[in-house]
Amino acid sequence: MNSLDIVKIVLVLIGAPILGCLIAGIDRKLTSRLQGRVGPPLLQPYYDVMKLFQKDNMIVNPSQNFYVVLYVVFVILSLLMLVFKMDILMIIFVYTISSVALIVGGMSTGSPYARIGSSREIMAILSYEPILILYALAIYLLTGTFNLSALDNASSPLLFYTPLIFISMLFVMNIKFKKSPFDYSTSHHAHQELVKGMLTEYSGPGLAGIEIGHFFEYVFLLALMFLFWNVNIVMGLLLAVIAFLFVIIMDNITARIYWQWMLKVSWTILLVISVVNILFLYVTQVKIV
Amino acid sequence: MLNTTIMLLIAAPILFSLLFVALPKSLYKILAWAFFIVGTVLSIMLVLDGTGKVEVAGSSFATFESIVLILEALIILYVLYVSAKHKNWPTLGLIVISAALAAYTFTSVPKVESASFNIDQLSQVMILIVNIIGTAIILFATGYMNHYEEHRHLNRQKTFYFTMSFFLAAMNGLVMVDTLGWLFLFWEITTLCSFVLISYNQDEEGINNGFRALALNLVGGITFAGAIILLGTKFDIVTLSGIGTSATAAAVALPVVLLCIAGFAKSAQMPFQSWLLGAMVAPTPVSALLHSSTMVNAGVFLIVKLVPAFAGTSLGTAIAIYGSFTFVMCSALALSQRNAKRVLAYSTIANLGLIIASAGIGTPLAVAAAIMLILFHAISKALLFLCIGEIEHTIGSRDIEDMSGLIKKAPLLTVLTSLGMISMLLPPFGVLLTKWVSMEVASSNPIVSVFLILGSALTTVYYVKWLGTILSSSMDKNAVLHPKLETYFPLSFLGACIVVTSILVFTIYDYFIKPQVAILLNIAPTVTGQGGQFTSEIGAFAYALIFIVLALAILIYLATKNMFTPRPAGYYMCGENNLEKDKLMFRNGLCSYDKSSVSNIYLQNTFGENKLTTLGYVISLLLIVIAFAAGGGVL
Repeated sequence: MNSLDIVKIVLVLIGAPILGCLIAGIDRKLTSRLQGRVGPPLLQPYYDVMKLFQKDNMIVNPSQNFYVVLYVVFVILSLLMLVFKMDILMIIFVYTISSVALIVGGMSTGSPYARIGSSREIMAILSYEPILILYALAIYLLTGTFNLSALDNASSPLLFYTPLIFISMLFVMNIKFKKSPFDYSTSHHAHQELVKGMLTEYSGPGLAGIEIGHFFEYVFLLALMFLFWNVNIVMGLLLAVIAFLFVIIMDNITARIYWQWMLKVSWTILLVISVVNILFLYVTQVKIV
Repeated sequence: MLNTTIMLLIAAPILFSLLFVALPKSLYKILAWAFFIVGTVLSIMLVLDGTGKVEVAGSSFATFESIVLILEALIILYVLYVSAKHKNWPTLGLIVISAALAAYTFTSVPKVESASFNIDQLSQVMILIVNIIGTAIILFATGYMNHYEEHRHLNRQKTFYFTMSFFLAAMNGLVMVDTLGWLFLFWEITTLCSFVLISYNQDEEGINNGFRALALNLVGGITFAGAIILLGTKFDIVTLSGIGTSATAAAVALPVVLLCIAGFAKSAQMPFQSWLLGAMVAPTPVSALLHSSTMVNAGVFLIVKLVPAFAGTSLGTAIAIYGSFTFVMCSALALSQRNAKRVLAYSTIANLGLIIASAGIGTPLAVAAAIMLILFHAISKALLFLCIGEIEHTIGSRDIEDMSGLIKKAPLLTVLTSLGMISMLLPPFGVLLTKWVSMEVASSNPIVSVFLILGSALTTVYYVKWLGTILSSSMDKNAVLHPKLETYFPLSFLGACIVVTSILVFTIYDYFIKPQVAILLNIAPTVTGQGGQFTSEIGAFAYALIFIVLALAILIYLATKNMFTPRPAGYYMCGENNLEKDKLMFRNGLCSYDKSSVSNIYLQNTFGENKLTTLGYVISLLLIVIAFAAGGGVL
């Protein structure tokens, strides 16, 4: 590990939460404007976290905050692995650890609301994980390796050959950001029938930890979209911004139906178009390196 | 040196099985400890002795050969007797066919002059699994069976320990012997042991399920015998290694398909899966020993040994698709089950399917993944099954929903169970490493890839909901703890094995897997293990990094735990939980009180057994027919 790597790590550890916090702030600002409200200041997510850290550490289960630590640490690890362009399939598995930690954390509290929320989040895994792995498979088929470093030498953007997977990934973003119509497990807005769902029993420092984890997660997820146009930073960032705007607009124009609908959409439409895209890559044997 | 160890590995379990019969129940604990130590020492001795072939010829061969023939005849007579006694006509029909094939083999197939044992790295791995995990399970049984029999008013422990130990001897023989005729004997003994142990309870359900296991495994036995006849008469091949090194690999495709079907039956792949599910009526140590970590491994062991005969052919592709289909189908079925043992049974079938899929892909890396998965899966599954047994004794149920709050009732047991589950689905543990390898190598075949991807997501789902359930806290405390050394030692030992093997994964790979793949395919996978990464030509699995980060997470938690003083509180129930005695009470619309209860999602309308089983039968049979056609196509 050389000094450049250490600088990168420090940059991710400091820069990513700031960026994620701003993303969350912009989200709230845009959403409120779409709803005809003034909305909170841009730095409201930061103020929220600071306030939460000063609250009492109320717990129903002595171990519940352990899962928060696991969640945050493994989200950070998956982001770092992405920055260092390691094996994409491995990154997805590491990211799964963090998702599982949050689910088990919710269930560990024993609250009925949290357990229902966690059950639904498990169904969300069933909806999005196959698509994430197909995305990794597409990268392999186009570059001949699962190592993301190969994308640096790509002759053309990933997006040219994976438009259908890009569309599916937009919906995965929607599920992972926990935005309407996929906010079954827990919601950012005050319209959740399960109180705060999976996170009902988290408050104070534990919830602050989860919020910080979310900041990292936003950056990680949008970085996955960035990879679709990795060869040109401007275009990559544009794709990330498009994905982000898509999520916010969807959030504001759709209503939550029921979680079975999420599974149906994912396993019929999204999965099928992703598989079609993969088959196209197999048949044409196209390579971008 | 090697031949002494081989003989001891077969003789010692037989000796112990006789000791279990001869000695009183009070000595069983000491015997089991001794067996565990002897088994461990012998299997390590075999590894230290190295690899090689041992010939049995001359007069000792004649003696052994006649013993083999007598035992084969006895097995046939015994099965004839029990199937006639219980009027089980399908089994009777199958055993008559087997007997006819045996008679034909005896009269018409050219006799062999000598027999041989072939110790390669795969045999070593299997011996380690059978003798260390197997004896640990028997040790667990000594802390388990008294309680089990007390509930059911049984007194058949002599039969139980005799069969379990005898089974280990047969299994040891099976993985070491090279001569097909002897291999077949050991193969049939494991079938018979399985029958005896499944029908252990001697009730109607037990006997029916026992016969189902016997019948389906006899189907496998018949195809096995057919393959021996074909190989012996047409190709003059009498050893397992002979099939692989046969110059005309394409010509032996038909017997290879027959042997693979025998392997599918033994490994309970679709459409044979029902016997393994039925076997769950047996006591838990039986499920752990026979039906998850050892006997079912005999099937995949055979298929891995046959890899040279189908690697890179259309038959190999057909096998890969078949295996991955079983993987996805049984993972979906596992999702719909509430009975913990059935979940584990489906999970076992699914993972064996994954092993078969990897073997079918047939590239060096894929075969390495198959062998590693045999090892890691055996350890994790043995632990999980034993934990279920102990959980059942603790809370009196094997329904997943009843396990909520287990962490408060039996913390150590829950932590060990969680470790077993996590090792099945998350990095950095061995099973996931092999799953990662299989997914990366499967990328050459779109159908296999998609099946593996779907199956892997389903696997995550059914384990996570179970994991969340046992780790959830609940207020009721109806549990009877039985903290016995005989039960908790094997559990902790297997838990430690999971962690140690996962940390030493590259050492294991270098010592066992790499030379074995080189034997099977003449080329070793290009894998390096520097910097705690398992690096292949198409990717890298950074297991050390994850172990370090995991340790870091625990340290961070311990360091920050007391920075914020915890304040225990009750559940938030929207202000409706105003009953003091139970914090999960709700006030309902009629102003009386209901207890809130939440259960997991099982999607029975989509993935239920009644929805998927028929589909599974049809497609798996179709895939076997395709495999036959692919074998014939090569001819």
